[in-house]
Amino acid sequence: MADLISRPADLVSTARPEPLVDSLAERLLRTQAPQRPQSTPVIRLEVDGRVVEGREGQTILEVCRDNGIEIPTLCYEPKLPGFGACRMCVVDVAGEEHPPISCSRLAEAGMLVQTQTEEVRRLRRTNLELIFSDHNAYCLPPCQNKCPSHIDIPGFLKANAEGEFRESARIFKRTIPFPSILGRVCPAPCEEHCRRDEVDEAIAIRDSHRYAGDQVILAMREQDVDPPVPFELQPKSGKRVAVIGSGPAGASAAYYLLIAGHDVTIYERDAAPGGMLRYGIPEYRLPKERILDPEYESITRLGGRFACNQALGRDFSLDDLQNQGYDAVVVAIGCYDTNKLGIPGEDAEGVIDGLEYLKIATLGLTYPGHAGTRVVVIGGGFTSMDCSRTSVRQGASEVTLVYRRDMKDMPASGEVHEAIEEGVTTIFQAGPTRVIANAEGKVTGVEFIRMQLGAADASGRRRPEPAPGTEFTIECDRVLLAIGQGPDLSWIGGDSDGVEATKYKRLKADAVTFVTPRPGVFGAGDVRNGAQTVVAAIADGRRASYAVDAFLKGMDLGEIRTRQTLAEPQPEFLSIVPFTSEVKAPRNRLRSMPAEERRLNYVEYEIPYTPSEAVAESTRCLQCTCEAIGFCDLRRLGIEYGTTLKTLEPQNNRGAGFRSVTENRFTGSNHDYIRDDSHAFILREPSRCIDCGRCANVCAEVVGAACYDFMRIGFDTLVTTPLDMSLNDTPCVSCGRCAETCPTGALMPKPRILEKYEVDESRCILCGICVDACPYDALRCGPDFELAHVSREEPMIDLIAIAAVDRETEMTYVRRERDWLERAIASGRDVGPRQLPVLPSSLAGGASGNGSGGAGHPHNGHNGHGPAGGGAAGHAHNR
Amino acid sequence: MTTILQTSADWPRPLLGEAPVGPAPAADPADLDAAVRAGAFVGLTRALRDLGATLTTATLAESGLRGRGGAGFPAAQKWRAVAATPDGVRYAVANGFEADPAGGTNRHLMTARPYAIVEGLAIAALSVGAEEAILAVRAEYADAVAVLEFAVAAAEEAGYVGEDVLGSRRAVRMTVRTVQGAYMLGEETVLLKALEGRRGQPEQRPPYPSERGLWGRPTLVHNVATLAAVPWIVVHGADAYRAIGDPEAPGTVLVQVSGAVATPGIAEVPTGTSLAEIVGLAGGVANGRPLKAVLVGGPSGGLLPADLASTPYTFGALRAAGAHVGSGSVVVADDRTCIVDLARLLTRYCADEACGKTIPCRIGLRRMYEIGERIATGLARPTDAQLLADLGADIVGSALCDHERLATGPLETAMRYFRPEIDDHILRGVCPAGVCALVGVAAAGTAHGG
Repeated sequence: MADLISRPADLVSTARPEPLVDSLAERLLRTQAPQRPQSTPVIRLEVDGRVVEGREGQTILEVCRDNGIEIPTLCYEPKLPGFGACRMCVVDVAGEEHPPISCSRLAEAGMLVQTQTEEVRRLRRTNLELIFSDHNAYCLPPCQNKCPSHIDIPGFLKANAEGEFRESARIFKRTIPFPSILGRVCPAPCEEHCRRDEVDEAIAIRDSHRYAGDQVILAMREQDVDPPVPFELQPKSGKRVAVIGSGPAGASAAYYLLIAGHDVTIYERDAAPGGMLRYGIPEYRLPKERILDPEYESITRLGGRFACNQALGRDFSLDDLQNQGYDAVVVAIGCYDTNKLGIPGEDAEGVIDGLEYLKIATLGLTYPGHAGTRVVVIGGGFTSMDCSRTSVRQGASEVTLVYRRDMKDMPASGEVHEAIEEGVTTIFQAGPTRVIANAEGKVTGVEFIRMQLGAADASGRRRPEPAPGTEFTIECDRVLLAIGQGPDLSWIGGDSDGVEATKYKRLKADAVTFVTPRPGVFGAGDVRNGAQTVVAAIADGRRASYAVDAFLKGMDLGEIRTRQTLAEPQPEFLSIVPFTSEVKAPRNRLRSMPAEERRLNYVEYEIPYTPSEAVAESTRCLQCTCEAIGFCDLRRLGIEYGTTLKTLEPQNNRGAGFRSVTENRFTGSNHDYIRDDSHAFILREPSRCIDCGRCANVCAEVVGAACYDFMRIGFDTLVTTPLDMSLNDTPCVSCGRCAETCPTGALMPKPRILEKYEVDESRCILCGICVDACPYDALRCGPDFELAHVSREEPMIDLIAIAAVDRETEMTYVRRERDWLERAIASGRDVGPRQLPVLPSSLAGGASGNGSGGAGHPHNGHNGHGPAGGGAAGHAHNR
Repeated sequence: MTTILQTSADWPRPLLGEAPVGPAPAADPADLDAAVRAGAFVGLTRALRDLGATLTTATLAESGLRGRGGAGFPAAQKWRAVAATPDGVRYAVANGFEADPAGGTNRHLMTARPYAIVEGLAIAALSVGAEEAILAVRAEYADAVAVLEFAVAAAEEAGYVGEDVLGSRRAVRMTVRTVQGAYMLGEETVLLKALEGRRGQPEQRPPYPSERGLWGRPTLVHNVATLAAVPWIVVHGADAYRAIGDPEAPGTVLVQVSGAVATPGIAEVPTGTSLAEIVGLAGGVANGRPLKAVLVGGPSGGLLPADLASTPYTFGALRAAGAHVGSGSVVVADDRTCIVDLARLLTRYCADEACGKTIPCRIGLRRMYEIGERIATGLARPTDAQLLADLGADIVGSALCDHERLATGPLETAMRYFRPEIDDHILRGVCPAGVCALVGVAAAGTAHGG
């Protein structure tokens, strides 16, 4: 070659290197990847005060992982060298100005490494906060996020849509034992946040689980089918638990404790179990015999016992229970003491406690002398609504509801229009100043004052303030007070000592572990929180049951706290891409009986769905949950580093259990990307992408397809396909490795069913990419796939050699195959009679003789099922 | 086109040579014969024939030459590191990708003194045992590319570079590669990625390119201005070079003075020259206005106030003041400039030019800009000043490359030196320079906060 080029004589030299051919492929082949020796010297370094052993050439991260020391990473892919994008694996190394990243920094003998210093944890926390500030996505869907008990709403709606109502109820019962009761009495905070609202109308979530629950009750009543149990029943633990109070909180705690294998007795003050569900909610909203009793039967069917007419402080004390051998006691006695107005004349005859009134009414009795009276109901909660509407049904001549705030701030605002239909007069933004009584002390009217709305208070609602000079009087015969309740804590002390009341007159119990100052005694529900919704009480009861279960299993408080916190946290979510392509379908509303009819009786006035309506309504769900929930590294780290919210901590967001977006220090502009579901197997959700680059690296370096890369620049950088094209237009081989490596839900495998691949052997070039790319090693062991009919021992492609290759230092399949023969011989395998891979002569390296001999007939052995020696052995080997 | 500023007659000019001061060069800089007559390739001959690799490197070490790419790493240390590797294939790369939009010194050097660069690169390649030498030039610099391509071809024809350098049977195959891309290509690991044909993103250092660089091979990467000084050092000796400028980092630097000055242009000044003197070379602040700040180091540089104008132009002193040598640009701002406005603009530039690889850079810089934007528009929160400081420190703490580490500079120095002006924006809702349109009425109401 060199001789052909004429040059000035004085410049010609004899030893001339080959001219450089400047092409990427050529350079890859010329460049020897550094081969790691079989065995490298052992080094010792100190990590977190512990001396650990590693090998020379390992990174700090590898050494730590080998020694079981956890360092968080988001972008590290074990098959590849450290990339260094996420900056989560920073560690403190003595003598370094800035903490290096452990995935790229080689471990050195004698190094002093600390993985959890204040500084590196702060850096990681900042990084996570930055990621979340541009993470336009969420883990739990908004409905589930907003549900106090975090019901798997997309899950049960999906089961509903498939007509699997029993399965739907089972999913529901994982977080709330009573789908039918909640289907009637829940204020459904979930529906306010349903994203279907962006398309047309929110899903009727409550009515959907109501239908599913009703099907379970129907099957139980008519065919005596046990209701579904959400979890596997645990073997009997031999521990005994007393639950005091059979209301929603107590019943839910008992239910999950029974499933956990404990022996549970529920003590109830009244004659029948149910608490406020039975004695506070009128029959027309919650039928007692048809719905409440059967749902409560699920507790007795699990072995729970109700001890009725047993009141704490009257019939027994905490000492009594613990002396009887109960291992744990859950106090869930609710709130039954109606608050006082604190205004003059309150003691006049005719001023009635709303709860007392409802208790009489729900027993089916007429409250004495109610018919024909003029009634004023004061309050805006569910109790006030129940009082008003029950008064209508009991024949009051005139019912006026007065609430001091605006209608939209009313807890029971959803029910107001129904009350008005039934004839209730409503007055908003007015507060009572005094009760007017006649000479005999009987009520003749109430004086009110108009309220104007001031600054927002702790609940986010604007505080009402009296407007002087706007007093007015409503004449009436009866006043029903429904202005909230507190728990009756008069039993504390004496034989029930050791528990305490808070300054707000609630039972003092931890918000996360539910423990009271008295060992073995827990508090849950309204008695701990003050009067709340049924769903909040049930959620409290369920969480308390987890804490009690952990306590009975002997865990200490710290463990319980960690377990409880991890069970329920939810990262915050930002603004959300609207669904634009959905077909519009209006909500299926429950029909009601006409107001004229229903105001005269206590029959449940809502007409349930037909089966087809129930399915149709559930089908409307967009299933906008994150598919990666439970597998997401970002979520796990967000929880660990406290950059996500903790629902169990009531101090977050004023007790609403939801940390708002503004609490992220870095909230600013963020990206909205469109979901790409054009590919058959891989679902791309770029809004969940954190730009770690793992998919791009794996696709390029391991698979060789290189579908993804970092695109655009600056803040707008996104790891995506060129021009954001569909994966169908890239060299994608559908191997799924990208989805496998994705640390979040940005790339997810779509569910698919494939029974068998057809391989056209006449076209196979033995490139081996399929084998290499297969994320589940299916091409190594399946009997029906490419090349599987010949032996694993003597394959066409040297699979054993491939398997033995150190992927971290190899870049392409071709290069790996160059020294195939040497390695096969070195490992003592017989390479004699079989076919060898067809490689270009330039790549064949040291392969000679046998290798080139087989190269001309690549398919002979391939097709030879029987005659080739490998065939029979192969079949045997496959089994 | 480019104005060369008149400097003191007794300042030596190793980089620009004795070319006359003024707008147009007298002779064609690509004329090899003229260059040889002026002394080009004497250094190469000497390094090859008299000194050899070890002594050349020793001379360089003796001279105290430090990299002119901005970080100021001792050049000879890099050479020794590359030469010490066991790998048989090594590369030498001249970084002619001048990223700073306000910079122009490299471009001028490449067009005016191509043979100094070619010679310096050849000496470097021979000294570290690299047979491949690459001149990476920004593709937009068409004039520089043309001149360098011509110069390399002429030098190869004359036997100064090529398969057999000056009959020594040593090869230095030199090529000019045009690279196109964003700001980040000025960073050495990014430039190497671009030369490999991959997306320009930095790699974690260590390993430094001197260990694992282009194609995984040991690679010597120098700014063209560093290399252009090498022949002079070889010819005139280490002592002569060390006598110039600041003893800690001797030699001269090319600075580009621009902004609100009377006559913007390029000057070759000894290190250690004060900023005030440099501004003075350009005729001082235009129209006699007072000096408010000097931006030293390009978009990611530091904003130094007028009372720090005596800061000497050295790596150490500038770094201590919060600025850096960077591209060699010195931008002057007069009293009509609002520091908040300027700093957020610079941060925006740095954020937009981020390669997007790491989280703190991609999102963090953007958030820093957004905080600056809030301050400039009067929507700042009382916590923003603290947040800016915290975020800046955390970005520096977990940074991957120097861009990320330095890009916090403008806002950081603004906070350090111009805090009263920032407080005026945040607490009183006024922009003293009258530049920012503060729309946030709330800003006035929070005056008691902060």
